[in-house]
Amino acid sequence: MVCTLARPAGEPFLGGKDPPLVKNFTSSARPTLSNVFPTVMANFFPRWTNVLPFKIAICALSLAGGVVAAFTYYATPKTLVVGYQPAQPIPFSHRIHVEQVGLDCRYCHSFVDVAGHSNVPTSNTCWNCHQHVQKDSPKLQPLRDRMNEKHPDYGKPIEWVRIHKTPDYVYFNHAAHVNRGISCQSCHGRVDQMEVVYQDQNLSMGWCLECHREPEKHLRPLEEVYNLAYDPEKFLAENSIEGVKTTEDLGKKLKEQWQVKPPVSCAACHH
Amino acid sequence: MSKRIWQHPELPADETTVSWRGVGQLENTPEFREWLEREFPRGAAEMADSEDAETSRRSFLKLMGASTALAGFGMAACRRPESHILPYAKAPEWVIPGKATYYASSFPRARGATPLVVTSFEGRPTKLGPNSLHPDQEGTDSFAQASVLDLYSPSRSTTVMHGGKPAKRADFDAVFAGLAKDGAAKIGLVFGHDDSPTRARLLKEIKGKFASSKAYAYEALEGEAVGLFGDGVRMVADFKVADRIVALDCDFAGTDFVGPVTPFFDRRKPEGKAYDKKADAASMNRLYAVETAFSITGGMADHRLRVKPSQVFAVAAALLAALGDTTSVAGAPAADDKTKEWVATLAKDLTAHRGRSMVVVGSRLPKAVHLVAALINARLDAIGEGKPLQAVATEATGLGSLTDLIADLNSGAIEHVMFFTPSNPAYDAPSDAGFATALAKAKTSIHFGPRRDATAHACTWHVPASHYLESWSDTRTATGAYTIVQPMILPLYADCAAELEVLSALLDPEGKLVTGEGEAGAPSPAMLAVRKTFEALAGTTVEAWKKLLRDGFLAGSKYAAATLSPTTDLATAVTALPKPGELEIVFATDHSVYDGRWIDNGWLQEAPDPLSKVSWDNVALIAPKTAQELGLYDETPTLETKTAAISEDGEGQNRKARIVAIKVGGTEMRIAVQIGFGQAEGTLYVPLGYGQGFNADDELGRETTNEAHVGQVGVNTGFNAYPLRTLAAGYYAALDGKPQDTDVRYSIACVQEHHSMYGRALAREISTVEDKKKGDFAHQLAGVKKQGMDSHMPPNVSLYKSVDPKGQPLLSDTVHQWGMAIDLSACSGCNACLVACQAENNIPIVGKQQLAKGREMHWIRMDRYFAQQKEDKDGDYLAMVPQPVACVQCEAAPCETVCPVNATVHTEDGLNAMAYNRCIGTRYCANNCPYKARRFNFFDYNKRNPLVADNLYWGPLGETQVGTAPHLQRNPNVSVRMRGVMEKCTYCVQRLKDARIRQKRRQKVESLGTGDSLAVTMDDEKLRIAVDSVKVACQEACPSEAISFGNLLDGEQSRMGRAKALERNYDLLNYIGTRPRTSYIARVKNPNPDMPDVKYVGKATIHMH
Repeated sequence: MVCTLARPAGEPFLGGKDPPLVKNFTSSARPTLSNVFPTVMANFFPRWTNVLPFKIAICALSLAGGVVAAFTYYATPKTLVVGYQPAQPIPFSHRIHVEQVGLDCRYCHSFVDVAGHSNVPTSNTCWNCHQHVQKDSPKLQPLRDRMNEKHPDYGKPIEWVRIHKTPDYVYFNHAAHVNRGISCQSCHGRVDQMEVVYQDQNLSMGWCLECHREPEKHLRPLEEVYNLAYDPEKFLAENSIEGVKTTEDLGKKLKEQWQVKPPVSCAACHH
Repeated sequence: MSKRIWQHPELPADETTVSWRGVGQLENTPEFREWLEREFPRGAAEMADSEDAETSRRSFLKLMGASTALAGFGMAACRRPESHILPYAKAPEWVIPGKATYYASSFPRARGATPLVVTSFEGRPTKLGPNSLHPDQEGTDSFAQASVLDLYSPSRSTTVMHGGKPAKRADFDAVFAGLAKDGAAKIGLVFGHDDSPTRARLLKEIKGKFASSKAYAYEALEGEAVGLFGDGVRMVADFKVADRIVALDCDFAGTDFVGPVTPFFDRRKPEGKAYDKKADAASMNRLYAVETAFSITGGMADHRLRVKPSQVFAVAAALLAALGDTTSVAGAPAADDKTKEWVATLAKDLTAHRGRSMVVVGSRLPKAVHLVAALINARLDAIGEGKPLQAVATEATGLGSLTDLIADLNSGAIEHVMFFTPSNPAYDAPSDAGFATALAKAKTSIHFGPRRDATAHACTWHVPASHYLESWSDTRTATGAYTIVQPMILPLYADCAAELEVLSALLDPEGKLVTGEGEAGAPSPAMLAVRKTFEALAGTTVEAWKKLLRDGFLAGSKYAAATLSPTTDLATAVTALPKPGELEIVFATDHSVYDGRWIDNGWLQEAPDPLSKVSWDNVALIAPKTAQELGLYDETPTLETKTAAISEDGEGQNRKARIVAIKVGGTEMRIAVQIGFGQAEGTLYVPLGYGQGFNADDELGRETTNEAHVGQVGVNTGFNAYPLRTLAAGYYAALDGKPQDTDVRYSIACVQEHHSMYGRALAREISTVEDKKKGDFAHQLAGVKKQGMDSHMPPNVSLYKSVDPKGQPLLSDTVHQWGMAIDLSACSGCNACLVACQAENNIPIVGKQQLAKGREMHWIRMDRYFAQQKEDKDGDYLAMVPQPVACVQCEAAPCETVCPVNATVHTEDGLNAMAYNRCIGTRYCANNCPYKARRFNFFDYNKRNPLVADNLYWGPLGETQVGTAPHLQRNPNVSVRMRGVMEKCTYCVQRLKDARIRQKRRQKVESLGTGDSLAVTMDDEKLRIAVDSVKVACQEACPSEAISFGNLLDGEQSRMGRAKALERNYDLLNYIGTRPRTSYIARVKNPNPDMPDVKYVGKATIHMH
């Protein structure tokens, strides 16, 4: 590059042998790399190398951009955790218990509307029924071991694999939500239809804020909070409410009526 | 909003008050100002040494490069870690995962238990609060607050020891059973001075089984008044009816409990405890204090006389004489004229309030003072039902003293001895008592205690004691209300035994020691014993028992009245007074370690002493003039300067105190000295309880023989003054000669200049007495808001409108807007709030090394100021003003505007919130905080043990947090902060949120109750929590109810609202325009207009320049 610029301006490059760039070697001039091998240096880099740095830069930028874009898109809760479906020590089917047996969420998750933490049932809760039902199912062996006084596992907890997890610095309170008309389904999906539970929503901060800014999209009558099969349109068809035509109208009405103003400041979840 | 730099103007020439925090400031060098102007002390934000600082950026980049490269190898870590949910196997009753349960219990202690409500999360007790059902007392003190930490302390003893070596519990059980089966065994049982009805009952049975057994009570600092007025007779003060109080070296608001102290503080508020009356000076009580060095009670006093400890008796005798009894005390030393005049005026005031005035005496003063005070109180008609003092008959009768125990051990009357006392006699017994030789004569000596202290090592057996939150017991409050001590958790360690379990086992025919839980879940024998005692008191119904467990106390129970029958006559007591000397030493009770029992409690060790502001050590305090005379003052700490190299002496990490050698009765000790203001000349004030053990890291290279007697927290802290104490002189003694400077210097971690604010009229004070310049009480009240800069600054005007065009208030939350008011008239500076905040908010301790650099994490800074009137040349009548400052939740918060990442923002309900996970640690916010209320995590104090020397600097290679249990104390609703994160008070936002959610839940229950939730309408009123129904941790802990907290939208329905409406209410640094949500209420002094020192009282408005 330096060499090409050293060519006298305006003189066309004819190819082949370069016109001699004659230098006067005087005794006083100290020989340097450029004045000893002027023509050699000139031929060292072909002309296309002039744009090479730009090309490299563009490649690197687009590669970096691509990585960032890919990371932003894929390395988010949306892609990393949605669909997480680990195997559980007992292959418990919510579908069977809700759809066939007809249990309410709160039979097992009994403190969801009382405490911040939605409890996972104790072995005792399972045993209430399973000492009579499915007594010999091999799937329930871990439970029977824990209820069998002679077994070494007696009294130990069943180690359920945690699926829905917020970071330690996030304070989430179940009671605050279900008591104000937000259904289990809004965050956990149709658990009633899940054979094996998986994570349905991404639980990212952006996702939380979406609803905190527009709760009307998720509000439902308190009586329907634990009804995961709730269909607002069907509900509206069956119950005519004055001034409410669409499901969004219903949400807005509830928000207004119950004064639902979800906080969006940091301390709502971080303290 | 750009950053505004405030140039605080000079103090006006006519200002009569001089105020300061420490020596450096009193001298007021330019270097000192520079110190003040930084948000962190120099060095706080720097690397360990200058070399580190030079290379830090480069090494940081190197490290970052290396770790990024390594991250490539660790891609496997990107897989989501599998975590588990472990539900209970069998759900325990009442436990709801994630929700706290609250149980009533109490903290047994000498002179009256503290009734408590214990917060438990899934069976872990995490926080102690006062039992608000209890009529006697609001709040707790710092010891009660910190006691929960001892349960999880890494220094806690976990296993049995025999002859100083680990042993098996089964071996001990065998030895114990042997003793218990031998009815002829000469067993001595040594208890503390706390009163337990079940213990008293079991002792009678034990006396029946073991005819030659004896019981004793010993606590090092219980003093001479125990048993002076009859076996088990004690004086209890009722401050409700006390109009005039004389405290003779009695720190009743601090370490010297004489009765429930809340009623005293109620009467320091001229508008009444609920702030619902018009300010009335006549409703206030008046406190006269006679003391050697400032105590927190002395700081509250309206008139204070500083005297040498030996002079307290002279003052008492003079007072008795002034009241008309000149014959009872023969040969009392004469008081000087100044004192006589003071006492004469005092006597007039007391006589004028006969029946409503009293004299309370420091429990550790010699018997003679107690006897004279009893005569004074009799003259004042102070004792009896409905009077300020009651003599009560406790159940702690028939107990021998330590001297009796030593005599019995020496004579062989006792061969086996068991120690249950919380004190540590091998360490804290008077040096001439001969405890060690006597103990060596015992065939078996068993120590039950939470720590492996000196006594544990001196005894043949040591058994870890269950914490009071792990065991059943019962006790009585100061007035004798029967209260329960119920366990929250089974003992964390299987070897632990509780006192009542041991006593029950002694009565068991087989001598079987059952601890924790009986076999197959049977109740603990201690519980059965307690229940039996209770049934004798309140009947056998289950309802009564359940009510006791629920309420924590038996309503209506109290001590029977007793008559005073002194066991010593005054003449004998006078001859037994310790000899006065030119220089006298006071062996003081310490605010952090008490008698030494709390030495391994990190919260208490780190809590700065209310007077000296020193953490982690004790220092001898000495009055400035005496120090000058002794040549100990001339070298006041030279402060570091910006240009000069950091000098050896100074503030912060370079603060060094000189070590002096002092001698009492031929015994020498060396201790660091510091100037103590407001102290009597010619005295040395030395707190006890430190110096229990040293290891190789000790700065002074002291003997390491006692290393095993302390844990990691207490090792290398302070100086042991117990060897100077004798049986005859347990509280004060004359010094042999003069203190000699040893040329040795010792690092002191003193927080008095850390995070110090400056500005005018920070703490304001007025007087009920008319002043020439300031007018009468009404004028002074009206003038509170105009003190300091506020007198000539134009009012703050906001550019923003507070209402929208329709006239509706522009509030984003119309349901709750939180606010706080702190009444300086009731704040004594006792540190209870500071420790409560630490427990509630997962605040770590940082250790002495870090604290000296100004890196303490306490969210509440307890400022302590001294003020002197210029006319008071000798400094005889100094004022001490405490002022707790936490984040004041500015509405126009300077910190918020400078945060580059919006990590600190306002919430809808008016809190200045801190999102820890968002903070990147620029510390701009702390830089811009005029209140200096923000704290920065320079290290990961929670994950790296700060107590091992230099450990934090090893980063990930350092030792991690020690012990098996400290994490169990954490509040699950508060984030545990990590390195590089700023933190500060957020008004216990977790409690506020919990209260709001509870309120919403209640609304839901009502809505569903109507059958149609769609038909239900809610409004602000329904969503608002009940008035004053939420308490923040500091407010709850405050024994003087100085802190009011509530919803501003409740207006004057809320106590806080009424407090803010007071004339005395003012905003700290109001002229800056930050509009703080926490306001302060000026201190009111209620001096006697006839007293000679009245002109110095009630003017301690603090200006910091």
